[in-house]
Order: sequence, then structure tokens, then C-alpha cells
Amino acid sequence: MKRRDAIKKSALLAGIAFTGPSLLSLLQSCARTDRLNWQPQFLNENQALFVSAFADTLLPATETPGGLDVKADIFIDLVFAKSYDDEAQQQVRNNIDQFNAYSENNYGAVFADLNAEDRKRCLMDHEKESGKFRKSVWGTAVGEEEQPPGFYRSLKSLTLWAYFSSEEVGREILVYDPIPGEYRGCIPLSDVGNSWTF
Amino acid sequence: MANFNIDAKKDVTYDAIVIGSGISGGWAAKELCENGLKTLVLERGRIVNHVTDYPTMSDDPWDQELRGSITPEDREIHYKGIRSGFIGENNKHFYANDLENPYTEVKPFLWIRAHQMGGRSLLWGRQCYRWSDLDFEANAKDGYGVDWPIRYRDIEPWYTYVEKFAGISGEPLGLPQLPDSHFLPPMELNCLEKQVKDRIESDFPGRNMIIGRVAHLTEPLNGRGQCQFRNRCDRGCPYGAYFSSNAVTLPAANATGNMTIRPYSIVQSIIYDDQEGKASGVRIIDAETHEVTEYQARIIFCNASALSTTQILLNSTCERFPDGLGNDSGELGHNLMDHTYRIGAMGESDDFEDRYFKGRRPNGIYIPRYVNLPNQPQSDDFVRGFGFQGGAGRANWSRGANEEDFGGEFKDNLMKPGPWEFFITGFAECLPYHENKVFLDRDNLDHWGQPTLAIDAEWKENELALNRKIREDAREMLERAGLKNIVDFDNNHEMGYGIHEMGTARMGNDPETSVLNATNQVHACKNVFVTDGACMTSSSCVNPSLTYMAITARAANHAVSELKNNNL
Repeated sequence: MKRRDAIKKSALLAGIAFTGPSLLSLLQSCARTDRLNWQPQFLNENQALFVSAFADTLLPATETPGGLDVKADIFIDLVFAKSYDDEAQQQVRNNIDQFNAYSENNYGAVFADLNAEDRKRCLMDHEKESGKFRKSVWGTAVGEEEQPPGFYRSLKSLTLWAYFSSEEVGREILVYDPIPGEYRGCIPLSDVGNSWTF
Repeated sequence: MANFNIDAKKDVTYDAIVIGSGISGGWAAKELCENGLKTLVLERGRIVNHVTDYPTMSDDPWDQELRGSITPEDREIHYKGIRSGFIGENNKHFYANDLENPYTEVKPFLWIRAHQMGGRSLLWGRQCYRWSDLDFEANAKDGYGVDWPIRYRDIEPWYTYVEKFAGISGEPLGLPQLPDSHFLPPMELNCLEKQVKDRIESDFPGRNMIIGRVAHLTEPLNGRGQCQFRNRCDRGCPYGAYFSSNAVTLPAANATGNMTIRPYSIVQSIIYDDQEGKASGVRIIDAETHEVTEYQARIIFCNASALSTTQILLNSTCERFPDGLGNDSGELGHNLMDHTYRIGAMGESDDFEDRYFKGRRPNGIYIPRYVNLPNQPQSDDFVRGFGFQGGAGRANWSRGANEEDFGGEFKDNLMKPGPWEFFITGFAECLPYHENKVFLDRDNLDHWGQPTLAIDAEWKENELALNRKIREDAREMLERAGLKNIVDFDNNHEMGYGIHEMGTARMGNDPETSVLNATNQVHACKNVFVTDGACMTSSSCVNPSLTYMAITARAANHAVSELKNNNL
């Protein structure tokens, strides 16, 4: 999307009038990226830029849509806004700010402003350091936890959910079969292709 | 479908009152109505009509704003129930409001309630196994608790009777400790389950692995459709393919024209008539208006669920029963049992990479009890036994969270199914201990000013020893089955997680040590019947609901014949 269009759209969504000073400040704050073309419900602009950049780096578009194509970032913000309690929300803000502070200290800019290579390096730093999720049985984690998954892996998990539970991926890419009608326990994978949607 | 008659205003006198409309209440209503008794079913929650009141039954994730996730407000309303891990946007409307219905955990105890027509029959796990004399004779043989007043032969015809109407899918095996039901065709095992089955059965003589026996139709029955393998059961099934009161027993009761069901009816107490020496009716509080009304009937069936029935009986005091109706023995509220839960192992397989399955089977595998069987060496560490549930599938995209990778190729790989995984989790029998109990808490009142329940119960050494053996055996079986990356686990869940609470108004031969007789009548108040989980004298290690159905049908038909003979 063209920068000017993006600004117009986000400004309209936010109900901001296009007058001198606010237009200027909007241009400045958006100078680092042309991507924030949506109005967050919970995140501030810098935090929203981070989530968009995170989703784009984690799940870039290939021959299949990327995280941003299915609006994973917008859904993540919605989950923070409506499903997180006050304490968890504050934790999210702190964690994003810390992630950006790490990025600035080690790569010279906040995550959204890094070039593609530095974004990958920055993610891999966190990938190496983060604990893992435990397995779960009937909706609840089981087994001993060695190290909690932490913010990076939790956001990664949230981003995967946002992407794979989207209608576009669920209907067009995974194999959508809402009423299977039968159970067959052992068939060639080639008969299905990709994973079932759910 | 026909509308339910919910007009209880025009008549306050009935032949029978049934308290509760869940799995056992639905059966009581059906049997009593079909035998010609004008029956009032009292339901403390709202009416839930089959199909039309299943608002999320066909939702895909993207049809809901938060795709199945719930809000902090919902988590507050369900602050206890949420511990189960089962409550989400798809089913939250079928779980009780924990704020309006508080209870006290003297020791940690998860009490899952479902306050609407159909109760937990909308939410249950649907696994159905007959008990055997290994279970009915257990107390008598090892001395824990009191002897059951019935044996397998007493209940066997009633198992057959309820199975034919409920519809139980499964495979006959001929095991004495897990008698075969009257079965509809079994569901299929998948590739990995078949492999694990073959390896376990060849490596461990005496152990079997079978497809779960479930209350799902695998062919149409009585106008109900067969399972479509959507695995969206706890939202309500549009086909009526799994057994619920809403889809099966209550419509049958309604069809007789003999049933009135009164929603929003909280039973405050059962009224005892000292002159007649029996109960004359019940007193209810309207959940919406708080108005108190009394209804009369010749017999009363208590099917509010084990602990709620116990709460009602404890709250039904009078000169004759100062400690609660039928509590001459002092056992009412005691001997609370459940099954231990989420102890087991899981692992991955390198095999069958090019194989997959079709359909979301709402069922898994079952490994029947194989320890402490008759004519077998008995364990020195514990009495009784355990069984396993579990199953295999392929990892989905969520596996990506733990992979040290990201980017385009990573994303596209997650479009394909991941490794096959298999897990089993044990359910151990719990012994009846007098000190595991519930009692009325008159200092903490609920939304309607009624005393709440306090629960004071915990696992003891025998259950913990069974759990250790479950974990050990689970790992060993998965290792011998050739699985990789095995994780064994014990979540140390407190009692209640099995959602099989039972035993607090037990059956027995002796009125001095039990609350109910062999036909589920309160010993000293014979026109009050208790046929939900409260009546259970021991817990077996297999799921109890099928036994509640059979016991209820048996007791209801006994009640009808006693009424005919003017014995009640």
C-alpha cells in the first residue's frame, strides 16, 4: 500500500482531521514504515508496528499469503484488547517495549525499523533463548516445564494461531471439511494434500 | 420437535417429581412418563431445546470475533470451571455461573456444574463401559466402604435396556472385567493406533487396546442421525448423534404427554410428612423471581447430580431428620469419590508419514483394567485398578511454536501435517473414605440465600500408588510400542477433575451404614429415590454414566411397580 493511502486510511479510521500539525506528526511517526494501515484497538502505534513487523517476519508471503495478508496483526491486537485482562495487557506493553529496547541495543533500531536480515537475526536471538511449550492433553499442558516459553514464543504461538485460524487460510489453503460424515483411520496423505483445517 | 410443557402453574400435584434433567434425570423422566405417571421435572436452569438452542454448533473459528477465545469477564464468571481447560466461546453457555453458585474448597476440589435442561449430558465425555462384579464385589472383598446391595446380574438387563435406546458404539471383546454392551458398529482405529495395539497386545499378555465405547450413533436410531465426525459435541449435536437428555430421553418423555418441565426451579428442600412417614413433595425457589412454591407428588427422584442432590438432602431437615433427609446413618455427604485424571504418557512415531485420516473422531482408544484381576497375582502397593483412555493423531500447525525456525519455508511446511503422536492417560479407582465429605456451609449463602456446599476431600495413599503405577506403565507401554520422544506426566490434579464425583448418598444393605437401599430408595423414606452419582457405593475405574442410566431405569421401573402395588 502506498504511504499516502495508508496515512489517509489510518487517519480516517482514527477520526483524525487532516490539519497541519497532526498531519505532520502522523507523517513523522509513520516515516519508518508504510505498513500501519489499520487502527489498533489496544496497542499504541509503535507497539502495533512491532506486531505487524513480527507477523511479517515470522510468516512472510510466499506463493501462499503471509501473516499480514490475512491480517494476523490486526487479530492479535484484538485478542490483546478483548481477551487479556488488565494485568496481562500491561505485561504485553512491557514485553514489546523490552523487545524493542533489545533490538535498539543490539541492532541499532526498534524491530520494525530493522532491515530484513537484522529482523531475522533478532528473532533468532530470542528463538535460541526462549523456553518451549509443554505438550498438552485434552486442553491442558502436561509434563515438567524446564523454562517458561516467555514472550517471544507466546507471541509466535499467537501469530501462528492468528494465521492458521483465519478464514482465508482455513478455506483456501488448508483442507476445509466441516462435515466429514465418516472416519477413515488410515488413508494416503496424497488423497488430502495439506492438513485438515481442524 | 414438540414444544415442552413448561406450565407448572396450573397444577401443583403430580404422580412423580424428578429433580434435575441431566443424564440420570432424563432417564427417570422417560421411564416414569412412559409408565403413565404425570411427572414434573424440575430444572434449576433454562430450557435448552435440541438444535435450536445450540448457538455455536456450526461455527468455524473465524465466525467468532475471538475465534473461540473468551473475555476476562467470562473467565471471572467461570473462575472455578475454567481450571478444567474445557471452557471456551463454543460451550461457555453450558457451564454454570461460578459467581452465583459459590462453593467452598476446604481442600482443593474442582466442581463442574451445568445448570440448564440437559445438564452435563450436553458436555460429557460420552465414554460408556459396563461395570462388572469385579466392581460390585470390590468393597466386600477388600473391606473398604460397605458392600454394594446389588450385583452385575441385577443390573445386566438394565444395561441392555438403556444401551438399546441410548445407542452405544463399540466392539465386543468378551472380557469378564469389562462386559460387552449391546453395540452399534465400532468406530475405526487409525494407522498408529493399530500399530500400538498390536505391539502392546503381543508384548503384554493380558492387556488389550480397543476403540472407545461411546454413546454415539454409528447408524441412525429412532429418528436420530448418525455421527458426522465433526467433533463439535460439547456445543450440542444438530444430528442428535450423541446421547444427551435434550436429544434423546426428554423428547421421549415429552412425547407421552405426561411430562411438565419447570425451568428456573431451584429445589430448596424435600418436604417430609411425619404422619405419613414419607415425603410429600418439594419446595422450590424460582431462580428468576425468588418466589417459593411447593409441589406435591407420590414419589420423588433426586437426579440433580451427586453433590447437588446431597446438598438438597442435607438441607431437607425436620424433626424426624434433623441432619438431613435419610441421614440416619450419618453417611450422607460422606464417601465422596472421583477418578484420578491426566496421568500418563505421550510419544511420537516416525512411521506412517505418508498416511493420514479423514474425519474428526469424537472418541479414542481404551485399555481396560489389567491389574489385580481375579486369579492373578495381586499388587502389594495398592488395591483395585485403573484403565487408560487415549488416542493418536498427527500434529498440526501449532507444533511450529516450538520449532527453532520461522520464515516462508517454515510457514509452508506447517501447511502439512506433522508427526504422528500417541498418548494414553489413566483413570484410577478411588476408594470410599468416610472423611472425604461435603457439608452445608450456612455462613456462605448463594445468590438465592441458600446454604452453599463445602467440599473437604483428597486423594489418599491408595490413589497415589495407583497413579504412580499408571505413569510407570504408560511410559513402558509407549516405549515397547516403539514411540519416540516420550514424555510421561502426572498433573497432580486435585479431586473433581475427573468430573465423576459420586458416593455421597451411597447404596447399601444396612441402614446403619448407608443412605439408600438396593433399589435406590432412601432407607427411612421409601418414596424418595436417588439415582445419580450420589448413590454409588464404590467408584470402579471405568466411566460411571452408563451405570447411572441403568440404575435409574431399574429404580424407576421398580418405583412404578411399587406404586401399582400400593407399597409407596
